[in-house]
Amino acid sequence: MAGIYIHVPFCKQKCTYCDFASYPREIGKAELYFGCLYKEMKSRSMALKNKTFDTVYFGGGTPSIVDPKLILGCMRLIKQCFNLSEDAEVTLEINPGTMDRNKLRVYKEAGINRFSVGLQVADDGILRSLNRIHNTEDFVNTAKILQGYNFSADVMIGLIGETEEILQKTLDLAVDNGAKHLSVYALKAEEGTPMYSKYLNGDLPDEDAVRDLYDFTVSYLAQKGFNRYEVSNFALSGYHSRHNLNYWKRGEYIGFGVAASSFIDGRRFTNTESIDEYVHCLLSDRYAEIFSEDIVGEEAKFEYLMLRLRTALGVNFSEYKSTFGSDFYTDFKQKLPSVIKYMDVDDNRIKIKDEYLYVQNNIIIQFMD
Amino acid sequence: MAKTKKQNIRNFCIIAHIDHGKSTLADRLLEMTGQVSARDMEEQLLDSMDLERERGITIKLTPARMYYTAKNGEEYVFNLIDTPGHVDFSYEVSRSLAACEGAILVVDATQGVQAQTLANVYLALDNDLEILPVINKIDLASADIEGTKAEIEDTIGLDCSSAPLISAKNGINIEKVLEKIITDLPAPVGDDDAPLKALIFDSYYDNFKGVICFVRIKDGSVKVGNKIKTFLSDKIFEVTEVGTFSPNLTPRASLSAGEVGYIAASIKSVQDTRVGDTFTDADNPAKEPLPGYKEALPVVFSGVYPLDGSKFNDLKEAISKLKLNDASLTFEAENSMALGFGFRCGFLGLLHMEIIQQRIEREFDLEIITTAPSVSYKVYKTDGEMVMVENPSKLPDIDKIDYMEEPIISANIYTPPDYVGPIMDLCQEKRGVFEDMTYVDAKRVRLKYKLPLNEIIFDFFDGLKSRTRGYASFDYELSGYEKSDLVKLDMYLNGDICDALAIIVHREKAYARGRAIAERLKEVIPRQMFEIPIQAAIGGKIIARETVKALRKDVLAKCYGGDITRKKKLLEKQKEGKKKMRRLGTVEIPSEAFMSILKIDSD
Repeated sequence: MAGIYIHVPFCKQKCTYCDFASYPREIGKAELYFGCLYKEMKSRSMALKNKTFDTVYFGGGTPSIVDPKLILGCMRLIKQCFNLSEDAEVTLEINPGTMDRNKLRVYKEAGINRFSVGLQVADDGILRSLNRIHNTEDFVNTAKILQGYNFSADVMIGLIGETEEILQKTLDLAVDNGAKHLSVYALKAEEGTPMYSKYLNGDLPDEDAVRDLYDFTVSYLAQKGFNRYEVSNFALSGYHSRHNLNYWKRGEYIGFGVAASSFIDGRRFTNTESIDEYVHCLLSDRYAEIFSEDIVGEEAKFEYLMLRLRTALGVNFSEYKSTFGSDFYTDFKQKLPSVIKYMDVDDNRIKIKDEYLYVQNNIIIQFMD
Repeated sequence: MAKTKKQNIRNFCIIAHIDHGKSTLADRLLEMTGQVSARDMEEQLLDSMDLERERGITIKLTPARMYYTAKNGEEYVFNLIDTPGHVDFSYEVSRSLAACEGAILVVDATQGVQAQTLANVYLALDNDLEILPVINKIDLASADIEGTKAEIEDTIGLDCSSAPLISAKNGINIEKVLEKIITDLPAPVGDDDAPLKALIFDSYYDNFKGVICFVRIKDGSVKVGNKIKTFLSDKIFEVTEVGTFSPNLTPRASLSAGEVGYIAASIKSVQDTRVGDTFTDADNPAKEPLPGYKEALPVVFSGVYPLDGSKFNDLKEAISKLKLNDASLTFEAENSMALGFGFRCGFLGLLHMEIIQQRIEREFDLEIITTAPSVSYKVYKTDGEMVMVENPSKLPDIDKIDYMEEPIISANIYTPPDYVGPIMDLCQEKRGVFEDMTYVDAKRVRLKYKLPLNEIIFDFFDGLKSRTRGYASFDYELSGYEKSDLVKLDMYLNGDICDALAIIVHREKAYARGRAIAERLKEVIPRQMFEIPIQAAIGGKIIARETVKALRKDVLAKCYGGDITRKKKLLEKQKEGKKKMRRLGTVEIPSEAFMSILKIDSD
């Protein structure tokens, strides 16, 4: 089980909270960039020939903003260079307003079978203030185009002006229009973004307000049949994101493109965030890695916990033992007493109690040295 | 090197208000006498401690020796002994003054004479020093040279008709200062052939040479191999090195009467050679020591604890080392329920306290927790015994106390008349009693107040600064103890008493302060997994309550592109932050919480 991530660092305009590697003014370099992506995939493929991949994920940026033929080219190459399983989950992130039926035909040909749609909030005023390119109607139209396809919707909580009514409207809009999966993330004001100055001014909703919205989301979506399988991810039965779940299970994945991260054979590495540097490296027959570390011993165990405890599954003791060859209780004997009251434990597994899932950092760091 | 005749030696210090140009003038003097070439010179050479340079203040005394060939053709030796400028360090000032015959008074022509300068000038006059006034910053547009001269003549009574008019920054008229040092400041006197009398005016511990004592030779001489002793200790030391400051230690064959220099003698502990003590010959001792100077007593006390409880011994070593260079710092081990093992340290004032804390953290790389400062109370018990209490948590039970006395200071506040009202308000709030108000000059008045010291340590400086837009200045001395209606204010966290947060406070202020501290703690204690009640109590009676709500959101967002490394780093950072907190029972408290309860009167 392994995943492939492809980063598409282009978008029409930056959202006010965005600090990801996405460059609206560089869209002219898309062909050159994809050429380098292809080259990176080919170059890496030999070393990965023994792995089987079951998920592909095109993230961004806005992958739906580039010519869909470039996505098709990626998928052809992936199928040629890697062992991609028959029933692989292939997800493309799209932005409402950048989608049409012609594009969908190409995506279908490429083998995309899941879409992740950036809805964020069903309030046009708030969408404008976030500098999003779409409005509520665009989402509805996109959802119509996607009828019959498996798609997820991204929703944000903790936005300025976002009331419980607006949130309910957002969740309804997604569910009623056919989303089988929802990712609900709280806004985080990252340094260097326009949103950060709002944060510094104290304009953002506080911790309690965000938690109230989160609690509302959990209970409201439960009524709609959505299961919280990870702290911020909700799905109807059978519709969880296999690609993301692989991250949380500490599975392997290879990332291509700028700012993409990989985890292969115990090594984590990350590419440069700069398109120019990335292109320059690939054209000079070099990889564009700017960071690499081998994760061994205690750190690997900690990662395993940190990731798995995000999920509703928690840590399974026998899986733990088969992964590390050691006993969970023995490994964390010293750490457990301070956190055990926040955990659910049975014979097979340990997980964070539902009511503490949203304050999990405070629990997880107790497992650190 | 030929021995310099006494009449060709000048030992002096520089007195100036902060920012009036003392360090800059010192730098220029060193430069002009060729001790440091301008090109190699690091700005403000004498302020060698990082902290000093950062804050623009002088704490430690750093002497420097200079050679100057005067216009009369003779070569002179100047020993410049630096002095700190802050009220907390008037003790250090008196130490350096005792090693000098003269003082240069630097006054900023744009600002005139400041209160702190006056205090130090009076100290110098008390020590019979000759004072040479120098007017600085004459090249600035706002300089008022004649007004400044008149002010010095009016307030201090010094003749300024021939005072050098200089710009230390731009090197204007520095030579005039050098010449005036020769003509206006007296040469040292002393008998070369009498038994050695060397005043120890500072010392520090050197890992290789042992304690280096800074001395002023009053009588006799000293050279390598001499056996010497002090008056306060019986130990005999063999001199291993003598020398002068240029400003680095420069070994010389001997030091004789009138000179300023250092002595190393494999001295293991500064306790053996106390600052203020006198070295003499072991075989041919002088009859009596030089008059030591008044030992400064610490007036502000606070608990200093290692953040990491296992670092107690490291902290002990750090404080002991600082103590080597700082006779006014006192410490003794104490134990807190909340904080474990640490030290109750005594300081000259709040700035001194802050500087010691920062030096422990920077120079010894130790993270510490400091409790809110306290003063020393006299507690008269019902059984007739009197105890001094410097740690509020050590206050005897209330039914065993007959009455208590608190230290009172007599404060001089210098201010333009416009701010008299706000200052009187402030002093009133601080339980002050008016004593006197007089003109210092046409532009300033001096207010005299009696104030309880425990009110001064609660944000008095900040209050004074903000209410007078920084125009007022302030000095004080301890005037004695007075009976007072004091109570102990206890703080409870999550139901447990926290001894390190206790303070002693006047009964009338207890309710307000209890509420304010509870509110303040609510702000500084981060939300945790459960709700934390904060309570203030007097004698077991709860007078204020606040609650830190339970943590409700603490989760990392999406991992874009599977960047687990970044997530892990965020968690590591969070963990680091947690390590900086102190666990009291089940509650984690940031180390600054203990000091933060001081900052409550500023709102």
